[in-house]
Amino acid sequence: MNQNTDLLTLRSVSKSYGTVPVLHDIDLSIKDGEFLTVLGPSGSGKTTVLRLIGGLEPLTSGEIRLDGQDISRMPINKRPFNTVFQDYALFPHMTVSGNVGYGLSVRHIKRKEIARRVAEALELVQLGRFADRFPAQLSGGQRQRVALARALICQPRLILLDEPLAALDLELRRQMQEFLKSIQREIKTTFLFVTHDQEEAIGMADRICVMQAGHIRQLGTPHDLYYKPNCEFVARFFGENNLVAGKLGPVQGEQRPIETALGRLVCSISGQPHLKAAPDGARAFAAFRPEALRLADATDDGNRLYGTIADLAFAGSSTVATIMTGADNAAQRLRLRMPSRIDGSALKSGETVSLCFAPHEGHLVLA
Amino acid sequence: MSALPRPSTIFLAAITTLVAVLLYSPLFVPIVSSFFTVSHGNVDWSSPTLSTYVALAENHDILVALRTTLVVGVCTVILSVVSGTLLALYYHGRRSGRSILQFIIFLPFLMPPIISGLALLIFFREIGLERSLLTVVIGHTVFVLAIVYRTVLMRLQSMSRTLVEASYDLGATGWQTFWRIILPNLSSAMVGGAILAFALSFDETMITILVTGTQSTLPVRLWAMMRLGFSPDINALVALILMFTVLLCVLAARFLIPRQMATERS
Ligand SMILES: Nc1ncnc2c1ncn2[C@@H]1O[C@H](COP(=O)(O)OP(=O)(O)OP(=O)(O)O)[C@@H](O)[C@H]1O
Ligand SMILES: [Mg+2]
Repeated sequence: MNQNTDLLTLRSVSKSYGTVPVLHDIDLSIKDGEFLTVLGPSGSGKTTVLRLIGGLEPLTSGEIRLDGQDISRMPINKRPFNTVFQDYALFPHMTVSGNVGYGLSVRHIKRKEIARRVAEALELVQLGRFADRFPAQLSGGQRQRVALARALICQPRLILLDEPLAALDLELRRQMQEFLKSIQREIKTTFLFVTHDQEEAIGMADRICVMQAGHIRQLGTPHDLYYKPNCEFVARFFGENNLVAGKLGPVQGEQRPIETALGRLVCSISGQPHLKAAPDGARAFAAFRPEALRLADATDDGNRLYGTIADLAFAGSSTVATIMTGADNAAQRLRLRMPSRIDGSALKSGETVSLCFAPHEGHLVLA
Repeated sequence: MSALPRPSTIFLAAITTLVAVLLYSPLFVPIVSSFFTVSHGNVDWSSPTLSTYVALAENHDILVALRTTLVVGVCTVILSVVSGTLLALYYHGRRSGRSILQFIIFLPFLMPPIISGLALLIFFREIGLERSLLTVVIGHTVFVLAIVYRTVLMRLQSMSRTLVEASYDLGATGWQTFWRIILPNLSSAMVGGAILAFALSFDETMITILVTGTQSTLPVRLWAMMRLGFSPDINALVALILMFTVLLCVLAARFLIPRQMATERS
């Protein structure tokens, strides 16, 4: 269980349904023991990636390697992976223990052994008392856990989960997120988890793979994706963001300015060689998070922006201000997030404000 | 329905009752009158009796016909359930040519029985197959196949595709998936279809008359008796067949109601 060795590798995998291409040249490495989340909008091909790995669909081209061995043509029932389906796919005519033990009994393992391991698996998902119930007699969260136990019991190298929490309500969802995460830590199995909920992805994943329109846009830790998105799509999709278009200026050490309609903004490029290498004048965006933006006072020497407050939205612990900036022909909406205060906001709608963000809190994204 | 105002609910209930009475009361007449004797064309209402049933039980021809009917029914059920299920599985797994298959299976069921019967008769003669119980069984199977097929197919289509995928995913082979996942989920539909098939075969008359050899089934026997004149044991026979058919339909309904609904109600 070495986090640095690749368990599974997808090499220029493509998939078409008939003549419709759905995945384009996907390259992806999954490390042994990690919790990898595939995140993307609806129709971006997340399920398809999972089905290709699980063997439920044949590849159109490319290959899938497990421990370096090509398994592209290995039949689904021979692959050491198990899936937790979005609709759980529990067998309605079997009890909970029948369901959980199915993967063992089809391999002709002795009854005693099956009973022992089923009890163990049910204990792990805290469903010991429900062994003799039928799926129809369980709640959504319980079914979910049966599906998980059923997938775990075969001790797969990789567990594939396709939006397993999508059908649950918010509260239960939170609980299940923690639960899944703790189980993953306990059994140390690799999880490949599909979701279109970015909060879920941020909260659970070791690494996130962002997909869009059949392409992988970025693969990295939640922190990387949040602070160093490599393209406009990720910058906009992943968390709330302010993007201002402009042209790159000359590199200044670990920083680089960008000329925008809102003036010159200086942003950090540290650890991102492709931004250093981009030619002067290249089209790009300055990106800065709403929480990096704040009201400026006279002594601030960060990036300055001016605008009018269009709206103030109280969101519990924080308050979000929408600010209109720029000339009429280049009007741009910015968001600013600040901690809420009991005596109300210091800002008022319609007020003209001066804002700033520090260069190291801004980053650049090539257009 | 509760959204309707009260007077219209009552009106609807009245209409429904009237229709039910008009449609179903003729069915009860033979049942009721089978418990009374008829003399000189008048029903003697004063003394209920089972004598018609005794007469029926002593009628050797009827008993033979009953046995024939049962044999034909059982054979028809076995043949139609096996082939209906196979056809449904085949149809379900197929992408092209589906509507033609569907059409062929439903044709004999939708055609007037006399046409189906004649077609079969001509067919059997052409291939030189003597008319016998075998031809009756074949005729019945062709006729009831659509019902079994339809019942099984509907269950198959309502079965989530991921069940089969999950089975493979957990390491099962095709056979294991078939025996342990697909078949158990179809079984109640198959039993329901079998009962319906049996009920249909039990009542089938037209095709049977045309393709049978010397032996007759119960309805055919009944037909022959009617031609000789109305006798009281006909009432008893009709009553028995009626009750038996109703029983079968109730049973079939039990098996065809989806399991989920059944558990929710209990
Ligand atoms: N069996 C199929 N035949 C044809 N096209 C398909 C099939 N399955 C998926 N697609 C198409 O492939 C694309 C990607 O589908 P996929 O199910 O992988 O998306 P997804 O990212 O899982 O979306 P969602 O978040 O809605 O589940 C979609 O445009 C979809 O229409
Ligand atoms: Mg999906």
